[in-house]
Amino acid sequence: MTRTALRIFALAMALAAMDVRAQATTTEAIVKAAFLYKFAGYVEWPSSAFPTPDTPIVIGVSGADEVVGELERLVPGRNVNGHQVLVRRVREESIRGVHVLFVGRGAADAPALARAGQQQGALVVTEVDRGLELGSAINFVPVEDRIGFDVSLGNAEKAGLRISARMLPVARKVIVRP
Amino acid sequence: MMPRFIRNSLRNKVMVMAIATTLVALLLSALGLVIYDLRAYERQWSTDLEAQADVLARASAPALSFGDRVTAEKDLSVMRVRQHILAAALYTPDGKLFATYVKKNAEVPAFPPAPGADGYRIAGDELVLFRSVVENGEKIGTVHLRSTYRPWDRLRDYLTILLGVMVASLAVAAVVASWMQKAVIGPILEVSGLAHRVRETRDYSLRATKTTEDETGQLVDSFNEMLAESGRRAAAIRLADQRKDEFLATLAHELRNPLAPIRNGLEILRVAGDDPDKALMAREMMQRQLTQMVRLVDDLLDVSRITTGKLAVRKEALELQSVLRDAVEIVRPFLEARRHKFDCVLPDEPIVVDGDRTRLAQVFSNLLNNAAKYTDPGGQILLSAAREGEDAVVRVRDNGVGLAPESLEQIFDMFVQVDRTLERSQAGLGVGLTLARRLLQLHDGSIEAHSDGAGRGSEFVVRLPLTFVRMAHSPGTVEPARSGAGRRVLLADDNVDFATSLGDLLSARGHEVRIAHDGAEALRAAEAFRPEVAFVDIGMPKVHGYEVARRMRASPGTARTLLVAVTGWGQENDRKRAREAGFDRHLVKPVDPGEIEAILEGR
Repeated sequence: MTRTALRIFALAMALAAMDVRAQATTTEAIVKAAFLYKFAGYVEWPSSAFPTPDTPIVIGVSGADEVVGELERLVPGRNVNGHQVLVRRVREESIRGVHVLFVGRGAADAPALARAGQQQGALVVTEVDRGLELGSAINFVPVEDRIGFDVSLGNAEKAGLRISARMLPVARKVIVRP
Repeated sequence: MMPRFIRNSLRNKVMVMAIATTLVALLLSALGLVIYDLRAYERQWSTDLEAQADVLARASAPALSFGDRVTAEKDLSVMRVRQHILAAALYTPDGKLFATYVKKNAEVPAFPPAPGADGYRIAGDELVLFRSVVENGEKIGTVHLRSTYRPWDRLRDYLTILLGVMVASLAVAAVVASWMQKAVIGPILEVSGLAHRVRETRDYSLRATKTTEDETGQLVDSFNEMLAESGRRAAAIRLADQRKDEFLATLAHELRNPLAPIRNGLEILRVAGDDPDKALMAREMMQRQLTQMVRLVDDLLDVSRITTGKLAVRKEALELQSVLRDAVEIVRPFLEARRHKFDCVLPDEPIVVDGDRTRLAQVFSNLLNNAAKYTDPGGQILLSAAREGEDAVVRVRDNGVGLAPESLEQIFDMFVQVDRTLERSQAGLGVGLTLARRLLQLHDGSIEAHSDGAGRGSEFVVRLPLTFVRMAHSPGTVEPARSGAGRRVLLADDNVDFATSLGDLLSARGHEVRIAHDGAEALRAAEAFRPEVAFVDIGMPKVHGYEVARRMRASPGTARTLLVAVTGWGQENDRKRAREAGFDRHLVKPVDPGEIEAILEGR
């Protein structure tokens, strides 16, 4: 095997690796978008969260553009428990009326945002290590080759939410207090 | 074809019936149950499996939603508590196998690479099911279940249980049947056994015991009544048979009795024919015996008429007094011979009845004869007649041997005689009263016997309906003959001895007699001689008696001649034929010269 051949091989491997990473990122966004949408089906909001029966479920996303894109592709025509699903990019000032708040890695002040979300009764979802300590109810974590999540029932309760027990077996771990 | 042991035994029939009924009922209900159960089994099984699938679908929906294979397999592995679930699987919405579960040690075929349509199907020993998992109106996957499905195992279990039930039921049926045998068949078997015993022993006094009030009880009652009736009849037949035997013995004796005196008389005539006194005595004695024999044979003929139902009477208006006087005349010699004191009380006003003069005279002479016979010599006999309401009543009373109460009806039976130990010379055949009752019945009349008991005399009472016709004069069947002897008489008979001897007898009494020995000769003589009375034999050569009578009736010269048939046949048919041919009277051979004399005298 010649040096040139080795170089070409190394280059090809590098390109392939880059491709895999790009693809993995996209897959992760698709999965997280699907999860965010599906979480809504296992959460019970207080009735004040829906003033009228046709009040849509609003998923607010901050700092995760790819996820927003995926969600916007996913949600049209779908509903959760009879509620239409809407997707919004949000900042701290504009989280009023959000039911599910995804605080992505790229969010400006993730802890503040999470806290604000919790205070105004949204299901806060984060995707960082020890994310639940920020006050989120659900935190995405990598589990082997796929995406899993941890659940904090305490944080959900603080936001006035109840998470269905059916969902819990799927969680990597469930804690009552953060 | 039933086996012999069933065919021949009611007991076995009942047993087989009970068992067969039970068996058929059980088999039919078992069949119905099995069919129902197999369907129910399938429904239940599939429903159960669908319920399992529902539970599984709901439980594994989060795992499918969040793509959690490990949790999904955990969810599926819950199925291990369900022993009949062999395998389970989850498919993703795009039809890829997502998670699987296989029962430990179960050998199942590979999972289908893609899910089938929703619903279940039976594949061999398995029930295979697919069910979509839907959440928020969106199909998020498919549940697949494989379950054991062994209806045949269940059927086998079922049949095993059924067999047990059947054995138990048959045992119960056998017990019930044996109870039925006792309760229902028992009495029937007893009747059957009794019938058999009666047939073997001819003992009609046996009776079946009645144990129930139902139809079987009625059968027992009826059977007992029939036994009693059979017994009575058998006894009656035996009695009648016995009487017939006695009658034959009596008959032989009675017929033989007069023959000895007659033979003696002939012997006397042969030996002492020269002595007029002895000859006269012998002749008179022979005549008496002959009369007795003729009477016996007449009785015999009447017996045969009674038994064949051919006894008949020719009715006409009669003055009862004259009939009674006739009867008395017949019996008077016997009454005198027995030295009885005889009284006859008859009213002056004529009592008119509808009847057969000869037959009624026969009835009353019979009663008088009996009274004389069954009363010791020197007794008292009273004959009386009177009108009582619409009946003419005739009483014959004696102070003789009388009758025991039980005999009062019996004596009217054929061949019954009150006292067989009585002196037999006048015994007769024991048919007189039977004949009397029968004849009176034919006259719409009746006869009864009364007696205060044995040894205290008896009274016979005859009742006849009155005829309300005023008779201008005493009626008679015979044309009143011109008074005075010396009639012109034609005797036509091919028996030369009979004709000649009778001719001599009538000539001796002053009649003018012509004799013919065949029909043609008789007709020629009749035409030339124009007799007042003609005695015509029926069985003559050339022209028979009936034809002679017809031609004489057709000829003006002999149309009014009194025609008397003389024949050996005295049956009613013969009399009828003679009447139809034109005869006025009918005499049966051997003819009593007294009868001929009576006819000639116009009596």
